[in-house]
Amino acid sequence: MIAFFKKRPYIFFLLPGFILYSIFVIYPIFAAINISFFEWNGIGEKVFVGLGNYIELFTNPELMSQMTNALGHSFTLFVLTVLLQIPIQIIMAYMIYIKSKGKNFFQVAIFSPQFISTPIIVFIFTLLFDGNIGLFNRILELIGLGHLTRSWLGIPELGIYIVWIMITWAGIGVGMVYFIGAMKMISFDEIESAYLEGAGVWRRLYYIVIPQIKSTILNLVLAAYIFGMTIFDFSYILGGISGGINRNVDVMSLFFYRMAFGDQNPLGGRVNENSMGMGTTIAVVLFLMLFIVAIFQISLMYRKEED
Amino acid sequence: MDKHHGIVAGIIKAFLWVYCSFAVFILGYILYNSFRPKKDILTNTLGLPSGFTLDNYKKLLVDDKFLRFFLNSVIILVASLILIVIISSLTSYGIARYKFKLNKAVRIYFLIGLMFPSQLGIVPIFLLMSKLNLVDNLLSVIIISASGISMPVFMLSNFFAKLPEEIHEAAIIDGAGEWTTFYKIMFPMASPVVFAVCITVSVQIWNQFFLPLIFLTSEKYKTVPLIVMKYTKNLFITVDSAMAVSILSTVPILILFIIFSNRIIEGVTAGAVKG
Repeated sequence: MIAFFKKRPYIFFLLPGFILYSIFVIYPIFAAINISFFEWNGIGEKVFVGLGNYIELFTNPELMSQMTNALGHSFTLFVLTVLLQIPIQIIMAYMIYIKSKGKNFFQVAIFSPQFISTPIIVFIFTLLFDGNIGLFNRILELIGLGHLTRSWLGIPELGIYIVWIMITWAGIGVGMVYFIGAMKMISFDEIESAYLEGAGVWRRLYYIVIPQIKSTILNLVLAAYIFGMTIFDFSYILGGISGGINRNVDVMSLFFYRMAFGDQNPLGGRVNENSMGMGTTIAVVLFLMLFIVAIFQISLMYRKEED
Repeated sequence: MDKHHGIVAGIIKAFLWVYCSFAVFILGYILYNSFRPKKDILTNTLGLPSGFTLDNYKKLLVDDKFLRFFLNSVIILVASLILIVIISSLTSYGIARYKFKLNKAVRIYFLIGLMFPSQLGIVPIFLLMSKLNLVDNLLSVIIISASGISMPVFMLSNFFAKLPEEIHEAAIIDGAGEWTTFYKIMFPMASPVVFAVCITVSVQIWNQFFLPLIFLTSEKYKTVPLIVMKYTKNLFITVDSAMAVSILSTVPILILFIIFSNRIIEGVTAGAVKG
């Protein structure tokens, strides 16, 4: 017995992490799949219903409409991030990379909202766009456009875009710093020879820098997908548990939270009695959506490593 | 190379100056308002002050005992960080330094957590925690935060794998056991990566909202983000406290960030390049 461990000292190194990680990260995935086959509220009797919860989720018109709405918003956040935020991050990173004046100030100021907690970010945007105390309206009044003032945060159609703007303001610095890191890995000779051949700043960005930071771009696209599917706090703080007026800021994770932990269920008894069953069913659907991307990402990581 | 980058770049740079100044402006604006009475903030938002007061801070610190919530957040952060550093460096060392049959499988196993955030498994975790009687206890948030070791393990095992084998062999020949080699020689060498891990993880833990929302139900265990939300939820009643609480919970962190900004940004970059 002792000889067995003597020969395999790594077991002692791996064990603490393995146990903790298995219990709180891996086991819940399988336990959630298991619970999703039951009708259960967490306390009472557990009734096996097979795929019943999944059928209910995809056929009940109210649940289905809530899910497509939330899913649509999650995808909106993902698409906006990929199409707008990532290009902006690349340009910001490039500006710092080519040593613009004030680059240290840029870097710190763009990154710092990362350290501000979500409720305060939402509060900052309230201070700017609120109907009554919002600065934006005051400025409109000052420049004689008083008739345009409105409660910007209260316009349902704008909801999810406002969420995206908040997320972007808070998080844009991280991706930017990743891009700066990736750009610094590019060999200086290549950039210089392109410069000597007469390539301007933007041609150098397009022909030399972007091809070399491709894997960082891809990683951030995947991260944006995971983020869109799991973002919770902005929507919860802005719109409460119901996801705002007409669920205008609802996202997948909030929908999941509402089903699993929401105490006032708009659907009445049925789902509430089945909070744990339906909650985990939604979680499993989300797991599956992430799983497809996860396989893709792991295979990429390993391909990169074998190069 | 050229210092002049053209008109487009010039416009973008001008825009960046405005954008970055905005962050400074908004903090200044909150700071300014945090010293004004509620009536002024609500009715005379942009106007000149009718007087400055420390009442907002007094109310927050003395009446509402804000420091206790700050302490809760600090306890969760420090305890989780210590656990993460110990556990993930042990695990990474085991993966990176030893060759064994299931090595590759174990590495993939520890990567799974990168793709599946703990909040999706929260129902079983919640049931588990209530069985352990840890709901409404700081420990529950600490344990769950500390078990998210995928990213740290990934970063650290890449580092340990790159250390030359000779260091390990020399230590063993000198009579150091596996254990001593690890914590006297290998772990100290990893300190830059450990720092990078700490930065990446602390931002997440400090700002985390979902876990405390679910697990810390009674008032005395609430963390800073939850308590801030209490004030920002109903601005007509608590806008004065909201201003002061924003300053108190943001400024200390930002000062720390600005002091260490170079190292922090380097650390985040290091994490990204490895990831």
